[in-house]
Amino acid sequence: MDNFWLIMSSAIIVGVGIFCIPMLPAKIKVFTSFLLVLLVAITTSIPAVNALFGTPVEFFLPGSVLFGEIPLRIDALSAWFILIINLTCLNGAFYGIGYMKTYNAQKANLSLHWSLFLIFQVSMLWVCMLQHSLAFLIAWEMMSLSSLFLVIFEHNKKDTLKAGINYMVQMHLGVAFLTVGFIWVYFAQGSFNFIAISDYFGTNFNAWLFLVFFVGFGIKAGFVPLHSWLPHAHPAAPSHISGVMSGVIVKLGIYGIIRVALMLQSELLLIGESILIISIITGIFGILNASVHRDFKKMLAYCTIENIGIIGAGIGLFLIGAGFNNTMLMVIGLSSALLHTLNHSLFKSLLFFAVGSVYQQTHSRDMEKLGGLIRQMPQTAILFLIGAIAIGGLPPLNGFISEILIYNGFLNGIHTIGLTHSTLMILSLASLAFIGGLSLLTFTKMFGTVFLGNPRQLLKNTPTEVSLWMRAPQYFIVAIMFSIGFFPQFYFSVTLQVIQSMMPISNLIDLEIFTPMITLMENVGRYSILFLVLLIGIFLLRNYFVKLQPITQNNTWGCGYVAPNISMQYTGKSYSKSLSKLLSFIVKENKKYMEIETSDIFPESRKHTSHYADFFEDNIFEQATKRLLRGLNYFQFIQNGKVQMYVVYGIFFILLVFFGTLFNLI
Amino acid sequence: MLSLVLMVVTSLFFMGIVIRTKSITSGRKGPGIFQPMKDVIRLWKKGAVFSRTTSFIFQIAPSIYFASIIMAILVIPFGQYKGIVSFDGDFVFFAYVLALGKFFSIIGALDTGSSFEGMGASREALYSMLAEPAFFILMGSFALYTGHTSFYEIFTSLHFGSYISYALGILATFVLIMIAMIENSRMPVDDPKTHLELTMVHEVMILDNSGFDLGLILFGTNLKFAMYGALIANFFTGSFSILISILIFLVVQILFAIMVGILESFSARFRMGNNAQFIFTLTSFSILIFFGVLLIMGKFV
Repeated sequence: MDNFWLIMSSAIIVGVGIFCIPMLPAKIKVFTSFLLVLLVAITTSIPAVNALFGTPVEFFLPGSVLFGEIPLRIDALSAWFILIINLTCLNGAFYGIGYMKTYNAQKANLSLHWSLFLIFQVSMLWVCMLQHSLAFLIAWEMMSLSSLFLVIFEHNKKDTLKAGINYMVQMHLGVAFLTVGFIWVYFAQGSFNFIAISDYFGTNFNAWLFLVFFVGFGIKAGFVPLHSWLPHAHPAAPSHISGVMSGVIVKLGIYGIIRVALMLQSELLLIGESILIISIITGIFGILNASVHRDFKKMLAYCTIENIGIIGAGIGLFLIGAGFNNTMLMVIGLSSALLHTLNHSLFKSLLFFAVGSVYQQTHSRDMEKLGGLIRQMPQTAILFLIGAIAIGGLPPLNGFISEILIYNGFLNGIHTIGLTHSTLMILSLASLAFIGGLSLLTFTKMFGTVFLGNPRQLLKNTPTEVSLWMRAPQYFIVAIMFSIGFFPQFYFSVTLQVIQSMMPISNLIDLEIFTPMITLMENVGRYSILFLVLLIGIFLLRNYFVKLQPITQNNTWGCGYVAPNISMQYTGKSYSKSLSKLLSFIVKENKKYMEIETSDIFPESRKHTSHYADFFEDNIFEQATKRLLRGLNYFQFIQNGKVQMYVVYGIFFILLVFFGTLFNLI
Repeated sequence: MLSLVLMVVTSLFFMGIVIRTKSITSGRKGPGIFQPMKDVIRLWKKGAVFSRTTSFIFQIAPSIYFASIIMAILVIPFGQYKGIVSFDGDFVFFAYVLALGKFFSIIGALDTGSSFEGMGASREALYSMLAEPAFFILMGSFALYTGHTSFYEIFTSLHFGSYISYALGILATFVLIMIAMIENSRMPVDDPKTHLELTMVHEVMILDNSGFDLGLILFGTNLKFAMYGALIANFFTGSFSILISILIFLVVQILFAIMVGILESFSARFRMGNNAQFIFTLTSFSILIFFGVLLIMGKFV
C-alpha cells in the first residue's frame, strides 16, 4: 500500500475505534482497542521503517485557505520517535488489558479511556509527522488533552483532579510559548512550514527564538525549573498511562527541541552550553528529589526528570560540537541523546508497569507501608530489579550503553577544546558520575523497601503475583533491553544513520571515522556478555560449594537483641535521611508536630508529619502564584456571580466593538 | 592476563601485611601474612546459616559482588600489557561494574529486614556516591593530559616531566589511596574493627552472611585492595622491562599495604556525620589535579 494511505489509515482507525469501542461489552472492549493500537502501530511503523533506512516519506495534505498546504514529512528523526512511540504504546495497551481489569464495572469510563488512548497514540504520531506549525499545534494540543483525560481516569479522587488541572494549566503555558514561537516565525517569514524556522535562523539572532521554543517544549520534557507537573501527574495516572507518558510524551518535548536545534544556524555554542548546564542541573535535581520521596510513583516521576537531564546533556554536547565544527562530539552527543531516549522509554515503562502491579495488589503507593513483596510477587520483583539496574546505567543492561556514549562524548570534549569548555566538560563528567551514584541510592532504596525484608504493615488482602497479561509486556521490554545491552553496535549504527540523514547536504558526515566507535560499542556489548557469563559461572560454583555443607535457617541476627519486631526494620526514609540532611538546602523537609511540653504529664496520641518540598515549586512558583493571586483579588468584583452583571459586560463589549468600527478605531 | 595473576597473588597477602603492620605498631607480634587468606579458605569449607526473612537476592548478592570485582580487575592493565578488557572509556566501565556489585551488596543487606543492616547500606551508598566524582575528575584530568581515554593508553602515555607533574602524581596517588580506603570501608571513614553495629559501615552490611558467601565477600575485599594498589602501581611501571615492572608492582603493593596499616594504627576514625564532607573534599583534590593538568597543557593564558 502507498505510504499516504498507510498514514491516513491511522486516522481512519481512530475514527472507527471511537465508534466501535463504546458499543462493545467490557471484556471485548479492551482487546479490540489493543488490536486497534496494534493496527495503528503497524500502519505507521511501515513508512517509519522505510524512512529510517533510506527513503523519507513526504507529501502534502490539502489544507484550507488559512492553513495552505500542510507538509507531512517522515524523516529519519521522526521515524526514530514514531517507532519508540509505537513500541511503548503497544506495551502500554497490552499491560493495560490486565491492569484495567479491576475497573471493568465502570463501563462508560472505560470506553472513554480506551478511545482516548487511541487518540493519544495517533496524535503523538502525527506530532512527529506534521511539519506545519498550525497543524502541529493542533496535534500537540490533542495529545495534551487526551493525555489529560487519561491521567484523570480516577476522577473521583481529589488529588487526581488536582494533578490533572495542574497538568492542563502547565501544558497550556507550554502551548502558549510554542504559539508565540510559531507566530514569530510566521510574521518574519510568512510561512507556517517548518522550513521557515530554519530560514529565520539563517538570517536572525538565534537565541531568543530558540529560548521561546525551548520553554515551550521544555515544559513537556520537564527540564528544571519547568518540571513541576511531572511529579503530580505521573502518580495520579493509571500505571500503564504513567508508563506511556513518561516513556514517550515527555520525549516529544525532546523531539521538539532536537527538531529546532537541528535548524539552528548560529549562536550554537551559547545555546549548547546553556542546554548542557540546565540539563546537568535537571539531572541532579531530579534524582535528588527522587531519592527522598516515599511515594514510589513520585520517585519514578522525578527520576524521569533526571533522565531528561541526561538526554539534554547529549543535545547540549551536540550543539557544542556543532559550534566547534567537531563532528565526533556532535555525533556522539546526538546519538547518545537518541539512544537514551529509546532506553529510557523502555526501562521507565518497565518500572512503571512493575510498580503498577504492586499498586494493583496492595492499593498503596507509599513504600513505607510495603515490604517483603518479593515472596508474594517474585516475577514482578525481578522485573523491577532489572529495570532498576538498567536505569542506574549499570552494565550489562542498556542504560549503560547510552551512559558510556555520553561519557565518551565528555571525554572527547575535554581534550579537543579550550579552557572554559574543558572545565565545563569535566564538571559535567563529575556530575554525571554523581547522578549515577545518587540513582544507585534511589533504586536500592526503592527495591529494598518495597520488595525486600518483612512486610511493614498488614495489608487488607494478601498480594499475589499479577496475571500473565501484565507480565508478558514487561518480559518483552526486558528482552529488548538485553538486546541493546549485548548488541549495542546495531542500535548505535541506526542512530548514526538517523544523524547522517538529518544533516544538511552541505555538511555530510563521513561515517568512516565512526568505525572505531562502532567497534567500541561492539566491545562494550561483548564485555557485557562476558560479565554475565562470569557472573553466572561464579554463582553456579558458589551454589555447588554451598550445597556441599549443611545449611540452616534461622532468624535474622538481631545483634544480641532477642525480640526484634517488624516495625524495627530499617525504613526507606531513614535510608535516605543522611543524604537529605546533607543536601537539605535543596530538598527541604517540612515537618509538622507538637513538642511535648514539660507540663504534659499524661500521654496522648500525637501526630508527626513530614514531607519533602520541591525547591522550585515551593520557592518560586508558589510564591509567584501567591503574589499574582493577591493582585488579581482586587478584580474579583468583576466575577461576582450575578447574571445581570455578565449581561452588562456583554453589552459593553458589543458597544465597544460597534463604536470601535464606527470610528475606525479597531 | 599478567595483571590478573599479579593482582590475585597480591590479594593473597595484602591484608596480611596490613594486619601485621598494625600488630607491630601496637607492640604485638601478630599473625602470619597469609592468615587472612587462610581464614577465607576456612570459611569456604563451612556451612551456611540463612535468615528466614531473606530471599534469593541474599543468595546471589555475594556472587555478583565478587564477579563485579573480578570484572573490574580485568580492566586494569599492567605496565605495557593491556588488561583483558580494554577500550576507550573503560574506566567508566570499571566504575560502573563496581557500582553494580555495590548495588547487589546493598540490596543483599536490605534483604535481611534487619534494623542495623540498612544503616550500613545507607552509609555505603552515600559514601561511594560522594567518592564517585573524585574518581571521574581524576581520570578525566588524565584523559586530558594524555589525550587518551582508556586505562591502558593513559598509563602507557603518562610521563612525568616537570615539577608540576610530579606534584600531580603525588596528589593522584593520595586521591586513589583515599578512594581505596573509602571503597573498602577502612580507617578514616570506617573502622573494620569496631564492635558497635551502630557505628559500622561495611561490617554491619554483612552481619548475616556466613560460610562460603562470607568468604567470597572477604576475598573480594582483598582483591579490591590489590586492584587499587595495582592502579597506583601503574603510575610508576610505565616503560620498564617486565621483570623490573613486576618488582615495582610488588614493592608498591607492599608499601601501600604498610601505609594502610600505619594509617589505621595512628589515626582515629572520623565522626560519622563528618564523613560526607571529608569524602567530598577529595573532589576538590581532584579538581586541583585538573587545574594542574591545565597548567601543564598551557591552557591557562
